Amino acid sequence: MLRLLTLGMILIVVPVTQAQPASFADAKLVWTLPWDADWVTAVSFVGNDRIAAANKVGDMLVWNLPAAPGDKAPQPAHRLAGHTNEITRLLTTPDQRRLISASLDHSILLWDMKADLTEKASVVVLNERARYEAESRKKKMPAAIEVTVSVQKKSGELIGHKDWVLGLSMTPDGKTLVSGADRVVGPKKEKEGEIIVWDLPAGKEVRRWHTKGWPWGLAVSPDGQTVVASERIPLVFDSGSRSALMLWNAQTGEMKADLSKEIKERMSGAAYSPDGKWLAVCRGGEANGLSGKITLLDPATGKKLRETAPGHLDGATDMAFHPDGKHIFSAGRDTTVKIWQLADGKHVRDLGQGRGGQFKDWICAIAISPDGRRLAAADMAGMVHIWVLSK
Amino acid sequence: MFPTNTTGEHLGRRAFLKGALATAGGMAVANWGGLFNSQTIAQEAARQNKRCILLWANGGASQIDTFDMKPGRPTGGPFRPIQSNVNGIQVCEYLPLMARMTDKLAIIRSMRTQSPDHPDGIYHMHTCYKQNDRMPHPEIGAMIAKYLGNPEADLPSFVRMGSTGNAGSGYLGPRFEPFHIGQDGRLPYFSEPSVTPQVQERRTDLLNFMEREHAREHRAEAFESHRLAEQRALRLMRARQVFNTNEEWPRARDRYGNSTFGRGCFMARKLIEAGVPFVEVGQENYDSHADNFTVHKANMDVLDPAWSGLLQDLQERNLLANTLVVWMGEVGRTPYINNRAGRDHFIRAWTIVLAGGGVRGGQAYGSTDRDGREVVDNPVTEGDLFATIYTALGINPRVRHYVGARPIWATPEGSRPVRALLS
Repeated sequence: MLRLLTLGMILIVVPVTQAQPASFADAKLVWTLPWDADWVTAVSFVGNDRIAAANKVGDMLVWNLPAAPGDKAPQPAHRLAGHTNEITRLLTTPDQRRLISASLDHSILLWDMKADLTEKASVVVLNERARYEAESRKKKMPAAIEVTVSVQKKSGELIGHKDWVLGLSMTPDGKTLVSGADRVVGPKKEKEGEIIVWDLPAGKEVRRWHTKGWPWGLAVSPDGQTVVASERIPLVFDSGSRSALMLWNAQTGEMKADLSKEIKERMSGAAYSPDGKWLAVCRGGEANGLSGKITLLDPATGKKLRETAPGHLDGATDMAFHPDGKHIFSAGRDTTVKIWQLADGKHVRDLGQGRGGQFKDWICAIAISPDGRRLAAADMAGMVHIWVLSK
Repeated sequence: MFPTNTTGEHLGRRAFLKGALATAGGMAVANWGGLFNSQTIAQEAARQNKRCILLWANGGASQIDTFDMKPGRPTGGPFRPIQSNVNGIQVCEYLPLMARMTDKLAIIRSMRTQSPDHPDGIYHMHTCYKQNDRMPHPEIGAMIAKYLGNPEADLPSFVRMGSTGNAGSGYLGPRFEPFHIGQDGRLPYFSEPSVTPQVQERRTDLLNFMEREHAREHRAEAFESHRLAEQRALRLMRARQVFNTNEEWPRARDRYGNSTFGRGCFMARKLIEAGVPFVEVGQENYDSHADNFTVHKANMDVLDPAWSGLLQDLQERNLLANTLVVWMGEVGRTPYINNRAGRDHFIRAWTIVLAGGGVRGGQAYGSTDRDGREVVDNPVTEGDLFATIYTALGINPRVRHYVGARPIWATPEGSRPVRALLS
């Protein structure tokens, strides 16, 4: 794309890449994909035109998105079958070939997204939860909304964790994957968290170490040298004393820095910007008021640079850096997606609105397409929302 | 959610002295409220050497996530069942140690109770009477202290660790008030004497002499009560070594788990062994209106070793046959999972577990429907539960007391012990 700018009498031709939207003022919701089997908990783009989503009971569906926003909302095309419990994270490798899923069933599964789908078809009911609710409340049951999809099985598995896999992060080159799980019996015979560094192309474990708490927010730096992990033992009456935020040396498993004195609150998510210039953590779990905020840190020192405000009501759940390198998106327990400017922490705008009631539904996870034009949001109410961020 | 008492409140000097005063003071006011004290029943029950430990899941534990699982149902949640050591009984995967002790458990899956919130539920599940009843009912600990306690013992008859009951000794009077110690079973720091035992003894003799002389000229019930409280505190100081677990705990920690609750359970075993008839140990953090599953998972990491360690320890010391261990809270939790990933309070169909003395282990009593919303068979009320517990301990569940001229029973009218649960 070329844009013509006029500076006095001089005509300048400026190349504008598609990954650099100037503003998100025109961002709009174009499709809501219903999938009301249970909470939709994770989401990831596969290329720019496919979206994979996962839910609380371990199912995964893939939709092929139409090219034009005005087209009819698509039906799911594939089902990825293999998990048996909630899927917590979905990632797609940079070559868009493999999808990686982490689950409470203790597994990390790999999916070949370019494989021929030869498995037989199966029927997915898109309004299963509404039918169950009607049945249990003895109300008229709505007709089943059925879709026939092809079924795909896993192409591989990373075996290493023995309990809930809560965190998953990958370097932009797709060579290093880091995962975190809870509740491993450590050297002192106490339950601890555990982080594993994987050589992803080889599918082999490179290193593992323990953390005192469960690793909720987990991210690996783009150069693969540092892992940030926010830890927490999730008790109701917990003043934060069981929380920690640490930087770890990914090569040795040794702690590089303890940021817990500066960051005392419980962090549910962590992310490095693809260029490595920013490290972001977000406050999660149920927090009082508008405290689900994003904190931007210096990735080298861990020093706090700025916080965004206002935060998400009742906590943030997920974050995603936009490919333009200038914005970060956050989702929370208030049914909104918020857009923030990295340079000054300014709130740009919200996508979506908080639903009514004292407690809102959650947007469990978000993903931005590689070209930066689309955003997908996993809604616990049983939907995947697709937003167009720029034309 | 509701506010919790801090450990500090239980460790405060005032709370400590109040506990000592209440426990001893009752001796001076034994007829408080015109109470009828059935010495015969008490002596008979005490002869049987029965004991009781109440493990209190403060806030209300989720039955579906522990002992009445619904795998594969929309209400089931992410936890998976594992087979216990009793055919046909499955428990949560995060209770693996308890799964190996299920042959000792009587799991009541059909509790249907009446008080849905915390203060009223805590009261109701500690007394088996509704809170809005005008009568000040005694807690189960006070009732057991009355009938199984030894009035001459240096140690209190009703010891409590953690923030749990809210009714106290009620109409049984201050003699049976709970004696609070730290959540981890430790006495407050000021209970350690600052002088040698010999000096302390001389001081005590001097104090007793002066008080006797003073009492000869100033006869008053309040003064006598105060004097007895002091004596009670001094007797407790003689027995305080029981509360010192510093040397034993490092070894016991592997069995009970390195937690405050685990240490409290260890202390409960020590107190039971030392003759205390009722000990209550509270575990916080069950009130999971939000993030129920992560909270319960973290709690079970604490509960599983502590509870199983306690049962194992009691068994190895030949104490389990005479010690009833009760695990319960004030409410259960909803089968429905709310939009905060939480479960709210639920009283229509929930679970309580008994083990040890007087009950027949290795059974699940009652059942709920496939989603855990309703009791399908054998509903058990608060009164039925207490009647069962009292019967297991050799206490007549229909024992009658008088408050003034008004008769009042240990359990409400219509309460029946569940015979199938009793050994």
